[in-house]
Amino acid sequence: MSQVYKRELVFIVTGVVALVMMLDYFFGKNIPGLSGSGGIAGQLQTWALIIQLMAIGLGAINLIQVHYRQISRKTDMAIYSIIFMVFFAFLLLLGLYKLFTGVELYPYTWVFANVYTSLGTTLYAITGFFVFSAAYRAFRARNVDAAILLIGGCFVLLANAPIGEVLWSGFPLIGNWFNNVGQIPGMRAFTVVGALGLLAYGFRALIGKEKGFYSEAS
Amino acid sequence: MSGQTIWDKLARMDRRVFYWILFICLTVPYMTPLGLPITVTPSTRSYYDGLKTIQPGEVVLLSINSGVSAWGDCLPAMVASVYQVHEQGGKLIVWSIGYNDCDITWARIKTLLATNVFTDWVEGEDYVYFGYCPGQETNVALLRDNIRGVYTKDVRGVATDDIPLMEDINDASKIKFVMSSDTGDAQIYYIRQWKNGPVNYVGSGQPPLVAEMGIAMNKSGDMVYYLSGDEFGLVAGSRGAAELEALVGLKGNATITMDSISVSHVLLVLAIILANVGMFATRGQKK
Amino acid sequence: MGVWIVLDTKFVALLLLIASFALFYAYMKLAQGGMKIKVRTFPAVAAIPEAIGRAAEMGKPVYYSTGLGQLTLNNQLNGPQTLAGISILGYTTRLCAKSGVKITYFTPIADSLPLVEETMRNAYLAEGKPEEFDPTTAINFQNEQSPYLTASLGWIQREKPASSILLGGFYYESVCIAEAGNIIGAMQIGGTANTHQLPFLVATCDYTLIMEELYAASAEISGNPDVLGSLKGEDLLKFLVLALLGIGFLLALIGNTSLIGLLRL
Repeated sequence: MSQVYKRELVFIVTGVVALVMMLDYFFGKNIPGLSGSGGIAGQLQTWALIIQLMAIGLGAINLIQVHYRQISRKTDMAIYSIIFMVFFAFLLLLGLYKLFTGVELYPYTWVFANVYTSLGTTLYAITGFFVFSAAYRAFRARNVDAAILLIGGCFVLLANAPIGEVLWSGFPLIGNWFNNVGQIPGMRAFTVVGALGLLAYGFRALIGKEKGFYSEAS
Repeated sequence: MSGQTIWDKLARMDRRVFYWILFICLTVPYMTPLGLPITVTPSTRSYYDGLKTIQPGEVVLLSINSGVSAWGDCLPAMVASVYQVHEQGGKLIVWSIGYNDCDITWARIKTLLATNVFTDWVEGEDYVYFGYCPGQETNVALLRDNIRGVYTKDVRGVATDDIPLMEDINDASKIKFVMSSDTGDAQIYYIRQWKNGPVNYVGSGQPPLVAEMGIAMNKSGDMVYYLSGDEFGLVAGSRGAAELEALVGLKGNATITMDSISVSHVLLVLAIILANVGMFATRGQKK
Repeated sequence: MGVWIVLDTKFVALLLLIASFALFYAYMKLAQGGMKIKVRTFPAVAAIPEAIGRAAEMGKPVYYSTGLGQLTLNNQLNGPQTLAGISILGYTTRLCAKSGVKITYFTPIADSLPLVEETMRNAYLAEGKPEEFDPTTAINFQNEQSPYLTASLGWIQREKPASSILLGGFYYESVCIAEAGNIIGAMQIGGTANTHQLPFLVATCDYTLIMEELYAASAEISGNPDVLGSLKGEDLLKFLVLALLGIGFLLALIGNTSLIGLLRL
């Protein structure tokens, strides 16, 4: 298939699927054979799930390729790629064993409960440190706007911590005002303009004008 | 940098100094808890009031859309919610549309509530756990019409048709409300596809309401949906979870972490003040 | 067969959707017909060549990521952001290929991978250097946030990229990756339409694309008049929304909330 046909096919499929999904959302069961699990829209949604699951397999292949290349090139990072490959094979075998026998072996649960969980929660906790240093650097009263932001931020911080109300009962009052009244109009404005941008982008993608992704360069 | 004054140093302090101070200070409250009082915010109160409306036998959904990494923020609220559903005599459907590590989260909830909920709850009759299915909003739209179309069996391998709890349930209308635990936007999928979604799809009854247990980081965005009435309640981060724990009467991890939250927030405010003092002092020197 | 047209929120949404599409189409046609569309330059987009130039001068690579994006392209809020990020990735890769700079793309979104590889391959092809494209520079992290974040942090610490570009649907990884970039002194360009991550990107990046600017950036890069026309339509749509807001506000003041009811989600 030539590159041009391949590209056009992508846009045609995108357009047709989008149209079916819009009809489904707005008219639903008024169009026979469209909605519900047996309808065209339902079938397309099921296909979307299947493709997504297949993509996970594709992702695994990519990961193996990347690490295989690291090992074959004998780079400084090859040792980590070897560790990855060993763990990948180990967990894959344990997972397959569970799939075929229904029995979850102890190492499988142990790895998830004691390694994966601990690493995940630690990583999330690191965010607190990064937010700390980012706030230290960014919250500077360089001008009036920044000063208002800084004062508002401090009130919100102390309103969210129990110690705030112990220090002064006004902290939660003012902090919650910033949270529930002060920032909401801005957030709503952001949501609205974001949605409008999304609409314009969606329309361009729908009619095949948004070619930045896929093959603009070709 | 011999010409650096104390003010210069304050304005440009190495971040590792802060990291160490924060790390050390955070460990203190765990060893000597302060036990500061917590005021319940209106959004958590609304969430709790919603839980209190569950009548015996009514079915609610817990959608685990947060991963194990966000346990600190999300797990305590889920534990308190499941506890309250049990207290009300409700029944529970659990699945995940966001994270494939939901099995670990559900196992943790069961462990934490092993003595006060899961001693008398029978799997398949009082609660059912379906596990993870990808697809996100597409999946939520599919589940709205046909739960069996997505989940043909639960994680034990029992066919959905053979689960007593699911006997009369195959669409969203049979679920009273959704409790969505989020690090992202999954609650919006339920609002869009279930609550405000195409009611003409739903078999019978009213579309379910939606409530959220979100991470603290997303509170500013989540408040928009709570204040507009699209969510009947919002539990924001571990602070919200601590409030919920106080309301349901189950002291858990969120209550314990509140002291650390206090310490970290005060430290952050102090750091910001120091940085600004440093900035203004050096600005004066330059002038 | 049920009733087709009911004046409910959904019908109003459909009307607004058709009106917006009509407006976009009309301005695209007007632009094709020669109407001059003036679009302000986004500093963040203008900074991309500078970021690549910096990498070329320093002989260091460029880090690029489109964020967690809720782990799939099949996500209404994040899928388009990921696509917009991939659009700009195409442009960035072309600049990198031209200057001989190595670019590495990190993603946890498995289903975006074929699209990314194709986009990067085409960018190298367009610069006449197809042999320089290495498919393993687009790395996927198996639908998981933590491995993607850990790998990004590790890579940034080891390789010390001259520039870091974060454009797409970001979640909590935004502040971690951007702070890691800040620690090593990378020039950083960020952008997202996720309201909850905007403050972090604004605080940590040198240049930021805010909300719809992320979508508009790819239109600006393309430079096609008809694509730019849709931006003009979008601006007019903002005035329409403002008018609706004003009318709804005035009606609510006199106790009539029917318009608010019709415009609910």
